[in-house]
Amino acid sequence: MTKELIRLKVNGETHELAIAPNKLLLDVLREDLGLTGSKRGCDDSSCGCCTVLIDGMPMLSCVALATSYQDAEITTVEGLARDGELDPVQEAFMSWGGAQCGFCTPGFLMTTHALLEKNPDPTLDQVREALASNICRCTGYTQIYESVLAAAQKIREKRKNEIAISK
Amino acid sequence: MTMPGFRVIRPSSVDEAVRVLADNGPEAMVIAGGTDVVPNLQMRLFAPRVLVDIKGIGELRGITCNDRVGLRMGALTTLTEIAEWKFVERCFPVLGSAVRSVAGPLQRNMGTIGGNLCLETRCLWYNQSEFWRQSLGGCLKKQGDVCHVAPGGQRCWAVWSGDSAPALLTVEAELEIAGPGGRRRIPLAEFYRNDGMNRIALGRGELVVAVHVPVSSAFRRGVYRKLRVRDSIDYPLAGVAVAMKVDGQGICRAARVALAAVNPAPQLVHAAAERLEGKRYSAELVEEIAHEAIRTAKPLTTSASTPVYRRDMVRLFTRRALEELWQTRRGNGEKRAG
Amino acid sequence: MGEMNVIGKRMAMTDARAKVTGLGRYADDLSVPGMLYGRILHSPHPHARIRSVDTLAAEALEGVKAVATGRDAPTPYGILPIGHDERVLALDKARYIGDNVAAVAATSPEIAEEALRLIRVDYEPLPAWFDPLESMKAEENWIHEKRAHNIEKEYHHHFGNVDEGFAQADFVLEDRYYCGEVTHAAMEPHSTLAVWEPNERLTVYSSTQVPFYLHRTLSAVCEMPMSRIRVVKPLVGGGFGGKSEIIPLEVAASVLAKKARRPVKITYTREEVFYAHRGRPITIVDLKLGITKEGRITAAQARIVQDGGAYCGYGPVTVLYSGALLNALYDIPNVKFDGFRVLTNKPACGAMRGHGTVNARFAFESMLDQIAARAGLDPVELRRRNLLKAPCTTPNGLRVTSYGLPECIERVAERSGWAEKRGKLGKGRGIGFACSHYVSGAANPIIRSNMPHTTVNIKIDRDAGITVYSGASEIGQGSDTMHVQIVAEVLGVRPERVNLVAADTELTPVDLGSYSSRVTFMAGNACLNAARNMRAQILGPVARQFDCETDDLEMRDETIVSKNGAGVSMSFDDAVALAMVGEGALVAKGTYAPPEQARGGKFKGAGVGPSPSYSYSAQAVEVKVDRETGQVKVERVVAAHDCGRALNPLTVDGQVQGSVYMGMGQAVQEEMVWREGRLMNPSFLEYRLPTTLETPQIESIIVESIDPEGPFGAKEAGEGSLAAAIPAIANAIYDAVGVRITDVPITPERVLAALRAKEEAEKGGAR
Ligand SMILES: Cc1cc2nc3c(=O)[nH]c(=O)nc-3n(C[C@H](O)[C@H](O)[C@H](O)COP(=O)(O)OP(=O)(O)OC[C@H]3O[C@@H](n4cnc5c(N)ncnc54)[C@H](O)[C@@H]3O)c2cc1C
Repeated sequence: MTKELIRLKVNGETHELAIAPNKLLLDVLREDLGLTGSKRGCDDSSCGCCTVLIDGMPMLSCVALATSYQDAEITTVEGLARDGELDPVQEAFMSWGGAQCGFCTPGFLMTTHALLEKNPDPTLDQVREALASNICRCTGYTQIYESVLAAAQKIREKRKNEIAISK
Repeated sequence: MTMPGFRVIRPSSVDEAVRVLADNGPEAMVIAGGTDVVPNLQMRLFAPRVLVDIKGIGELRGITCNDRVGLRMGALTTLTEIAEWKFVERCFPVLGSAVRSVAGPLQRNMGTIGGNLCLETRCLWYNQSEFWRQSLGGCLKKQGDVCHVAPGGQRCWAVWSGDSAPALLTVEAELEIAGPGGRRRIPLAEFYRNDGMNRIALGRGELVVAVHVPVSSAFRRGVYRKLRVRDSIDYPLAGVAVAMKVDGQGICRAARVALAAVNPAPQLVHAAAERLEGKRYSAELVEEIAHEAIRTAKPLTTSASTPVYRRDMVRLFTRRALEELWQTRRGNGEKRAG
Repeated sequence: MGEMNVIGKRMAMTDARAKVTGLGRYADDLSVPGMLYGRILHSPHPHARIRSVDTLAAEALEGVKAVATGRDAPTPYGILPIGHDERVLALDKARYIGDNVAAVAATSPEIAEEALRLIRVDYEPLPAWFDPLESMKAEENWIHEKRAHNIEKEYHHHFGNVDEGFAQADFVLEDRYYCGEVTHAAMEPHSTLAVWEPNERLTVYSSTQVPFYLHRTLSAVCEMPMSRIRVVKPLVGGGFGGKSEIIPLEVAASVLAKKARRPVKITYTREEVFYAHRGRPITIVDLKLGITKEGRITAAQARIVQDGGAYCGYGPVTVLYSGALLNALYDIPNVKFDGFRVLTNKPACGAMRGHGTVNARFAFESMLDQIAARAGLDPVELRRRNLLKAPCTTPNGLRVTSYGLPECIERVAERSGWAEKRGKLGKGRGIGFACSHYVSGAANPIIRSNMPHTTVNIKIDRDAGITVYSGASEIGQGSDTMHVQIVAEVLGVRPERVNLVAADTELTPVDLGSYSSRVTFMAGNACLNAARNMRAQILGPVARQFDCETDDLEMRDETIVSKNGAGVSMSFDDAVALAMVGEGALVAKGTYAPPEQARGGKFKGAGVGPSPSYSYSAQAVEVKVDRETGQVKVERVVAAHDCGRALNPLTVDGQVQGSVYMGMGQAVQEEMVWREGRLMNPSFLEYRLPTTLETPQIESIIVESIDPEGPFGAKEAGEGSLAAAIPAIANAIYDAVGVRITDVPITPERVLAALRAKEEAEKGGAR
């Protein structure tokens, strides 16, 4: 199959890549860019392990043809931390036991990150709704719920502080 | 699983898309959100030479709504956009209710209304890997001559598994289709063929451009009830959409009932409209309509649940939906099944 | 034990950062230069003789570097010494749809798949066996010629005298329970990277729970000494038992790598994971129970048939656990058990979380409620009246050293509001109760030997950093963190000072693996012993310098101080430097072997069941049942688990909640559906794991009975809470709508059918 030259913007960096047109974004991330944080857990787009942000929206990179997303801003789990400082969502999943085996974790982090961008004060039910495409086999979700709510609180506090400082 | 090989063409206008589709005929396939196409490609359910990625066509995006022409949703409108559209609950609650029940939030962020209305039909014996299907020698729909659901028959019973179609049937939606001969508009009901193998009436080179819902069916109370094992991710095992207008006296002024996942097409329960119009609520009438619904439903063993149970639930959900819409002031869609 | 600084504290897992940054590597994340992609050809027939396999066309395809068939690796293997009935690629027969027939390594996955399409296999289909009860009666076409009537193993145990026991009972009940087949469904599909090294060695990175067993098997099948093979476990994305046997891809990748002299990676598709399986078998339990009117259990009798699939795997152990652990939860004087492990033409079953105990426990705890209803007793009260008096030894020789069940029961009853809620939750709502237990590792190793089950080494060199070498396999349960905590506690240092090297057969001493909840107890004890040895090496020179006894010293907050607060104070770094004078790097070792008294009786099959310690669990579940749809919604779960001591309450909570979740899935929605040996739902879309919307917050309560032999008193935490979840739900449904469901999963169809039957019966009765 003839490869195509594409441009992909991932975690703020633009890459030029020669890839086969049938290649999925997940495989380009994992194989061509070495960003193996996004995982493949199923073959029918029903587990959420491959979730990335495309223009801020959490989406399944296992159904996305890479060539289709050349104009988009793609964020993977590797792009969550800024200058070595973890995102509050990452911090919370660490301290609240949100990650056990860790395989579903990148997907959960991306979905959670998007949720809290939109709604930094979700109810438990809203959290459960938002995460309903991501499957975790280890935790029974309880510590994930706790992680998400803790991250939300941290984000709210951080915003409050930022506002206080800017005043 | 790997992907089969194909070329991708990314047209930037409807005309260009139509041209590419017409040129390539059955070798070409449209991809929108890809949530149906990509898993199916991995399973080798089809092998198009050309994928026509329509995501770059601006005309296919967005929702417009006004009181002259009604609602227009571009084919690329995502299910999340519809669910979050601020008038959906007020104007077309049945649509909001159905759309929110599709798959899970991530699939809805990608899946489009066009793709949802053109979904492949599904069957336990068909939506399987190449290895799995070949271990059985294939089926009528793919590389075989036996239907494992109704052995001996020559008809494919793969089931219509899209949730928004029955909802849109209850508000008399129309499709805007572009093709080599220009644009045409057809009632959504005429789009479906009730044939598992040849599900929709799209000709060579044709593309769904938009869905229209007339002003006349706005503000109907409505709800979509879906049978599924999990409250997320799962396709419907059965679905019942009901939309109705009830006047101040409690008299039904218009009503539609439609079903998903119990036939190869989404289907209106035809008797419902005439029998309900002009009537006041009664338990007997509701039961009668529920009975009509199961006469329309022809579930077979195409999914995890038994046909008997799915029929039972079609009757129950029809009854519950009618009771809920008729007897309460609000007809807001409820998220949960059952 | 004085106050502790690390043990008992909620601590983030040591590998959490690797996981939340996405930088940690799982097997499929690894790639090396020159790596080939392997794929396996599976049998489309449930039972067929293989007449020939023609690989010529596949070999000729450009990009194909090796093709292997059964002839390339004919040595049979299996996890149990008595069950070496598998070959990585079938030689003579294929025994299930999905059985492994040939394998290919090529320069791309696409080429490898294309090559599979070119392999021609000449099969002669044979009559196949799908139903265990039918299969047991087979007179011919046995799945393995050596296993007559397709019975892999049967066991018949009798302790006390059940006839006498039933004679003493005022209420005797018999019923049959059926549990469908379920599978682990770890989120990570199995993956193996086998690297053929330039020095003719083999390095294998694999998603395994048992690197040591893999090491042994690769040595046998690849015909290479163990000393030339290295097995490394990278991060593993969940196991639950599904990675606790040798999985065909691990051997296939190694055979291909050796043949191609190149690195080969195989990652299963999700469908292949379902065929690799080793999950919980279809189980048919015929149970009989007798109680007095005071509520004392007088006898229990169970006949258990397990549908094991086409190979032995852990099968005999699974069935033995189901019998042995009828004991050790309650005080039952008379117990009879007949167990059958049957072969069928389906993927092999094996060990899955709660190994062997879960389905038997479902039956038992359901029946307790049934018989309580008969006797007019409160189900919780009935359980209270049958408690063991630990320490004790059960009739079948299980030694119970610590027993937190009474506290579990009381705390759950209280927190759940049992007394106020039972029978009073209103229409369609109910509450159910159940208990369960599990081993803290098997006291007898699979491969009989008198060697310790695990060894841990600790090294401290001039940087005063502490490196712990353990063969134990972190699979997400927190075993790495557990080691770090123990060493940090004993040596009085911050956990950050401790570095763990784990599960790399070239560097770490043998540990038998992460299964049957053995790691905290066994590797933990070995680690504790190693840390204590290290402590002695450091304290000795300090005591000499200060002219005191080592017993007078303690290590805390990175310093060595006198216990009485006077005199000695030396930093950990200085103490290490002192200890190294004349010695060089400090090295300490610790081992663990279960004590002789823990190893059980002498009868046939006695080897399975004995454990150095048992965990206990009690649960209450609230459900809502829709009478018209039959749908069951789990609304609240309160689960108490006696884990001896919670070394890390954060991970104990996580383990308990995860166990409950998995039980909940099995209870109401998970099932592998078979048609003529064909798995109808080999995917995550159709094998339905509960999502967040079906999963309430699970309230876990930690009970600490402080086991006398566990490390700091710790014992099992990761499996024992699973089994109670299923009967607790069944019992809650009974409380809600008055129907007893004896078949799992409890689907809406089953509930509805039972409700209708009840209505009919009541109508009949009214007439
Ligand atoms: C795990 C999972 C669960 C799901 N559950 C549900 C569910 O519960 N209910 C449900 O309804 N769907 C479900 N889906 C399917 C899917 O997500 C939605 O139906 C979605 O709306 C499909 O839209 P899409 O844009 O992704 O379609 P695509 O996959 O891009 O296309 C689907 C089909 O429509 C054709 N098509 C797309 N757009 C056009 C157009 N404009 N003109 C002509 N043809 C077109 C394509 O050629 C293809 O045949 C599920 C999918 C997954 C992966």
